[in-house]
Amino acid sequence: MLRQLAALPLFLIFLLPLALSLALILPTIAEAAAFKALLNHPQLWGAAGLTLFTGLISTVLSLICALMIIAGRIDKPPQAGAMLALPHLSLAIGLSLLIMPAGLLARIIALPFGWTSPPMWATTQDRYGLALTAALVLKETPFLVWAFASLLNRDDLRQAFRGQSAVARSLGRGPASVFLRIIAPQLLNRTVWPLVAVLAYSLTVVDMAIVIGPTQPPTLAQIIWTDLNDAEPAIEARGAAGVLVLSTVILLLLWVVGLSVRLGRPYSRKWLSGPPDTGHRKISFLTQTWGLWGLFYSAIVILLLFQSASGLWPFPDLLPESLTFSAWEKLLSDGRPLLTSFLLALGTAMTALAASVVWFEGMRPSGDKIMLWLAAFLLCLPSLLIGLGQYRLFLALGITGTALAMFLAHVLPVVAYVFIMLQGPYRGFDQRWQTTAAGLGQRRVAFLRQIKWPMLKAPILAAFAVGFAVSIAQYVPAQLAAAGRYSTLPIEAVTLSSGGNRALVAAYGAALMALPLIVFLLAQWLSRPRWRAR
Amino acid sequence: MLNRRHFLALTAAGLSLRPAFAADWAAIEAEAKGQTVYFNAWAGSEQVNGYIAWAGEEAKKRFGITVEHVKITDTAEVVKRVRDEVVAGKADGSVDLVWINGENFRTMKTEKLLFGPFSESLPNYQFVDVEGKATVTQDFSESVDSLEAPWGMAQLTFFADGAKVAEPPLSMAALTRFAEANPGRVTYPAPPEFHGTTFIKQMLLEAVINPSMFYKPGDGAIFSTVRAVWESMLDGLHKNCWREGKQFPKSQADVTQMVADGELLIGFTFNPNEPANLVAAGRLPPTTIAWQHKKGTIGNTHFVAIPMNAKAKAAAQVFANFLLSPEAQARKNDIKLWGDPTVLALSKLSPEEQQAFAATAAPGSVTLPGPTLLEPHASWVPLVEQAWLERYGKG
Amino acid sequence: MLSLRDVSLALQGKALIKAFSLDIAAGEIVTVMGPSGSGKSSLLSFIGGDLDEAFTAQGEILLHGERLNDVPPERRGIARLFQDDLLFPHMTVGENLLFAVPRMPQDERVAAMMAALETAELKGFENRPPHTLSGGQRSRVALMRALLARPRAILLDEPFSKLDRELRVSIRGFTHDHIVKRQIPALLVTHDLGDAPLGGRILKLTAAGEVIDV
Repeated sequence: MLRQLAALPLFLIFLLPLALSLALILPTIAEAAAFKALLNHPQLWGAAGLTLFTGLISTVLSLICALMIIAGRIDKPPQAGAMLALPHLSLAIGLSLLIMPAGLLARIIALPFGWTSPPMWATTQDRYGLALTAALVLKETPFLVWAFASLLNRDDLRQAFRGQSAVARSLGRGPASVFLRIIAPQLLNRTVWPLVAVLAYSLTVVDMAIVIGPTQPPTLAQIIWTDLNDAEPAIEARGAAGVLVLSTVILLLLWVVGLSVRLGRPYSRKWLSGPPDTGHRKISFLTQTWGLWGLFYSAIVILLLFQSASGLWPFPDLLPESLTFSAWEKLLSDGRPLLTSFLLALGTAMTALAASVVWFEGMRPSGDKIMLWLAAFLLCLPSLLIGLGQYRLFLALGITGTALAMFLAHVLPVVAYVFIMLQGPYRGFDQRWQTTAAGLGQRRVAFLRQIKWPMLKAPILAAFAVGFAVSIAQYVPAQLAAAGRYSTLPIEAVTLSSGGNRALVAAYGAALMALPLIVFLLAQWLSRPRWRAR
Repeated sequence: MLNRRHFLALTAAGLSLRPAFAADWAAIEAEAKGQTVYFNAWAGSEQVNGYIAWAGEEAKKRFGITVEHVKITDTAEVVKRVRDEVVAGKADGSVDLVWINGENFRTMKTEKLLFGPFSESLPNYQFVDVEGKATVTQDFSESVDSLEAPWGMAQLTFFADGAKVAEPPLSMAALTRFAEANPGRVTYPAPPEFHGTTFIKQMLLEAVINPSMFYKPGDGAIFSTVRAVWESMLDGLHKNCWREGKQFPKSQADVTQMVADGELLIGFTFNPNEPANLVAAGRLPPTTIAWQHKKGTIGNTHFVAIPMNAKAKAAAQVFANFLLSPEAQARKNDIKLWGDPTVLALSKLSPEEQQAFAATAAPGSVTLPGPTLLEPHASWVPLVEQAWLERYGKG
Repeated sequence: MLSLRDVSLALQGKALIKAFSLDIAAGEIVTVMGPSGSGKSSLLSFIGGDLDEAFTAQGEILLHGERLNDVPPERRGIARLFQDDLLFPHMTVGENLLFAVPRMPQDERVAAMMAALETAELKGFENRPPHTLSGGQRSRVALMRALLARPRAILLDEPFSKLDRELRVSIRGFTHDHIVKRQIPALLVTHDLGDAPLGGRILKLTAAGEVIDV
């Protein structure tokens, strides 16, 4: 009985609202006429193809990049926290400021050539979504690096990997072989769900696609977004049908990927224990790119800050004609959205963390699967759909425009990310520590507070920081639930930016990053190992 | 002392068949005192936001009404929110006043989501230019029926850097020739974005000699008679467009920014004074010029309406009436503040009031104006949008 | 033959092991004993090639005449056994063993793996995950794995300390026998005298850092 109680917090803030929201929104999805309309949409197939392409390629590339980075820094796992704080929208804006035909790169290249008009490059909004893919890779790689690093920062895992590496090397395997065959597989086994989250995100992203993706055709998520936002019921229904299609595509894709992995397992296992390479390959210097990533992110932030303070800045000038702080004045003139965002982020991240930990402590590991699937499922749904469902729920309960509604709207995705990030490390915690402590006469709570949680502080803080960042960036469900009564930073940002004032957009992009950045840096600092590893 | 305004008021009161608003109005104003109006309005422009803030302060001072500007991105959100609330039976709606027109108005009117009729009973409605501005009573060829109060005028206006564009193209045909001479420097946002749709509607109107057919409801059959011409005009333009017409920018705001960057040469807007505003805000160079097509460009009126489940209906009406007042309209018209054209007939105002509307030329104001063309009937919109997506939506 | 010439070890300037030389013949197991913290494990790390940066070491390592000091660990051909069996958890027992088998046609590799299993009296265990094996079984697999790589020398770092008493005896014997059979020089580090093979050389590492023949 007590076990079941452990599920209660998550049930209240996640499972129940999710189920009710879906129940309220599903009837609208299943209209036949809407599906017919969707099939008649002239851009449907192009959009679907584009979505699959950008989603898959970006996920695969992110994984490869993350593994390469980790391989190059096995002894001193990189700290990706600061990079995660940059909201995806801000990254897309910054990247496009860099590579668009009137962007910084073009202006630098224009110098020796003496161009007076921006070149006719298709660097952003390109036909195949390469710019969008690049933006996704830039955003997702640090996330995966962060997931891997949290594992490597665990003392027990780190020691185990060290020992295994030494053994493997003594058996004649070079460092590259050791990483690929021994360490990487064990890392991947523990980060399946974060990878699923990455794939789901790439396939459903809307705001990045709007900024830097193509329009003809746009991604499927964009089409759905436009339709769902339409006031006309028939078009709205078409959008809902699109959601069903997209979600099914994602589930199918995950199933196919899972199947391929399973089918390929005999071959991959054979390879794992295969004969040693003749070359004893060292880990290539190409993996030492972490510094470059940091540099790139810094450049984007600086560009955003710079843009936020610039007046007219025609091509090919390298510097704007004037500097003005009017964008920042506007942003800071009303402090309420910032405060609202901060309080919501703090509250939801802590609640999600507490609820998840209670679940892990009380429920059997076999029960995790349901939560993980639901969390991944949530992440696969376009936020507009779940936002609408929640909104209907709040409407029925009469709580639209209240603080409770705002909390519930924000906490849902936060729980999903926190749970996914924490499940692997938390469950992987060596049970023997507990038995040791019990053998020393320590009671459960003391054990938790003094042994388990401190040992898990890196993943716990990491999950908190991610949850915080996710909450800060929440837009659609929050905007719906607020019903005009509350404003958060993203709500302000989107509305004010629809006027196209690039300085204002950049200012908000930078502002949205500030709070999560502080939290990430704090989390990183607090989770550093107490002693340098021996 | 009797002046012209008082005379008009008395005449109107005497002649109108509508209930005498003088007595009713006092009751409404009394009820409105202390209420809060949640005014849902697009907030993408600092000028608009600044104006609404001013209007709110004035409303507080004069009528004891608190105005909360609910910043929204797309009016469709508000339509949906009202619809959802009405369906859910929520009596105290979250929206008291909404900035609206066109398709969204039509939707709300058809679904009976609006409170009213009310606008023609507003005391300041008497100054509205119903004779000279047809779009004040016909919103996208849909009869207003006093369900929304006119607020300002809009007209499709083009702009460019005068230093780069010596002779602005004054028609779609001229624009096409311009594109030929400047390949890759002209484009428009992709429909169904509002401005993109307007652009292709403008193209439609200029595709035929007699555009009156578009003011009646259209369907696939009627459309097919003009479709070929329209598409060939678009094809002709597209081949010299930005990215050869294979990709289009997302929004009018993007197009404006690209003009400021120099990536595009011609931009456009629905507010004829927006270019001047942008110059004043330092987002466009001072050499900016603005114009409309010689034979006219699409124009319309934008309105404010009250949802049927609004909580503060009285205050909403009082505020709407204030927005219609000569003083508020004059301030709105001021190119230094917002520059949105007025819906009032200057001839109906006193000489002092008229002075407040004196047009001030500023860098970027329209130097080559054109007449306002009526919006085609709303049924043409899905026809042209679908046709456009089919032909150009795949890149 | 594994030879150490004037090998000394220091930790942050403080001398741990003073210079000494040692020759270990093929099939000989030399035992080094000493209190914990005396640097025994670090000595093995030095010989194996992955000495932690905090240490400084001097002296030469020669294996069959070849100087190994600058050779990376994977090329030295020196196998290591630790206290923990360190079987790779994501591989089965069979795969753990296969991993160590050098390059040759696959069917021969599998045959070698199967033979090793049989020698360890673990026939049929090839598809079992490591965590389902008992401590003694895992130790045997770990040793077999090390030997399958055909090492030229083998270093054992307290490999029996985690086993219970009865198991210790049998595993010790098992280990000694196979090392001798393969005629590989071996260096065993322990603090339990019983781990040393009967009649084998025993060295003591004193607190002062001296290596004494006992």
